[in-house]
Amino acid sequence: MKRQYYILFIIIFICIAFVSIKKYHFVVPKSWPKPTYDFSQNPLTEDKIELGRVLFYDPILSKNNTISCASCHSQYTAFTHVDHALSHGIDDRIGNRNSPALMNLAWHNLFMWDGAINHLDLQALSPMSNPNEMGEKIEHVIIKLQKSKSYSFLFYKAFNDSLITGEHTLKAISQFMLTLISSNSKYDSVMQNLTQFTNQEKNGYRLFKQNCSSCHTEPLFTNVKFENNGLSLDTLLKDYGRMKVTKNPNDSLKFKVPSLRNIEFSYPYMHDGRFKKIGEVINHYTSGIINSKTLSNQLQKKIVLSSNEKVDLTAFLLTLTDKTFLFNPKYSYFKK
Amino acid sequence: MRIISCFIVVLFFFNLTIVIGQKNKFDTLNFIPIYGSIPLKIDDAFYAFKDKDSIQFDELKFYISEVELINGNKLVWKEPNSYHLIDASNLKSLQIILNVPQNISFQKVKFSLGVDSIVNVSGVRGGDLDPTNGMYWAWQSGYINFKLEGKSNLCKTKNNEFSFHLGGYQYPFYVHKSVVLDFKKNSNTEIIIDLKKMMDYVDFAQQNHIMSPSNQAVLMYEKALEIFSNK
Repeated sequence: MKRQYYILFIIIFICIAFVSIKKYHFVVPKSWPKPTYDFSQNPLTEDKIELGRVLFYDPILSKNNTISCASCHSQYTAFTHVDHALSHGIDDRIGNRNSPALMNLAWHNLFMWDGAINHLDLQALSPMSNPNEMGEKIEHVIIKLQKSKSYSFLFYKAFNDSLITGEHTLKAISQFMLTLISSNSKYDSVMQNLTQFTNQEKNGYRLFKQNCSSCHTEPLFTNVKFENNGLSLDTLLKDYGRMKVTKNPNDSLKFKVPSLRNIEFSYPYMHDGRFKKIGEVINHYTSGIINSKTLSNQLQKKIVLSSNEKVDLTAFLLTLTDKTFLFNPKYSYFKK
Repeated sequence: MRIISCFIVVLFFFNLTIVIGQKNKFDTLNFIPIYGSIPLKIDDAFYAFKDKDSIQFDELKFYISEVELINGNKLVWKEPNSYHLIDASNLKSLQIILNVPQNISFQKVKFSLGVDSIVNVSGVRGGDLDPTNGMYWAWQSGYINFKLEGKSNLCKTKNNEFSFHLGGYQYPFYVHKSVVLDFKKNSNTEIIIDLKKMMDYVDFAQQNHIMSPSNQAVLMYEKALEIFSNK
């Protein structure tokens, strides 16, 4: 009898040990591919995600404590910087690109418009240290965080170690970003036969599959590749995109294909935010393509759309809006 | 009786661990930075450079990885998870302690200068590989394998500064090679780092800064490999 108590006690102890680490179940939306992020190297837990969320909204990450990640990645606009063609950072300094929307990042291998960052865990380093963005060295960020009692507590809770390191800081931010999943738009409901497109949306979807989906591939609405989509070179910014990273002329003017999910709210469009409206984007593809050596194969054949078809295509694109994502309280500002 | 037998068993294992512990001997690799024949210091010291000019070093940091011991042509020991950040201004880092079993004899020490490509593409790491060590490029993923910064009157730059950040994990700008040094003695191996061997190659009129993976970085890295010797 005594022995049974011992066993029971051990079982309860093990259960408590497991329960105290609140694991987070990453749910892959129905019929989506497997994520490419290796979760075994950074297993998600509720506490780490919470820490990442606090860091995401904290301007402590910037040199003068004025700019947080959320300054240029606002939830209500699919985590991008709405209304600003080029995003601005500390001291109102203007960067040279439009901040990308953050969603479904577990399916991406390379980050930034030019793919300069090769892993989500290292992504946050780049804006932190860019003088036009947050302008702060991670070494200093860590010193600032170490001085904060509330962060010591949060790091201890998350990593069982109150020593704050670069590795843990970046992994926590990465965990929060991994939870930003947008998969609940009208389009998704239609795919699951829960609702139906209007005739206009249906026609737009047909046109989309004919003309756009080879690069903006479903269900992510990006093939996560780099393409030259025929934009003219901005003579002031002289941004050659991917070529800067690979130094390979075949990558000249190639930029990462962005997802079209939540496109309604993530304006302005393109790497330099040159287009304010979806209509301008569609017009670019029908009549603005500039031919060059590296122009995407998918754009070699002219896209022809009547003005009615353009309206239908736009109607379809608006079905990619996911309000449960844009207004999900789990993603919003979180006070320590 | 039962307690006594338990005690004996515990004592036996305790003894066993002591015996095993004794069998292990710590070996160290000692890195000794010099400039020509003079000990190198990371501070205000000036060194003669190319006859009549001068040079000063503010920072010398690099990664040593994949430490291996070789006997003849045979690999006899390999350090697991072998990544060490050497910082010439931090005495402690100049000594790598290796947990080599005592019965191993070797004539050669092999190590790589820098961090392999797998580590470069597999996310963030801690310890010596933590990005807070100033050896990670923030704007573009990748470790800086070798970092040398300083001043020379020959540099026509702001404050006469030069800085060489050498790294790159993708072809054609891949910089990650190994160095093999012969050793007669088995323990406390001293490895000389003679920066003069590298600086004699540098033409400050042509280049003062290397900050990203490039052809220049590949060429300069080859020279950085030559600074290591066993006296």
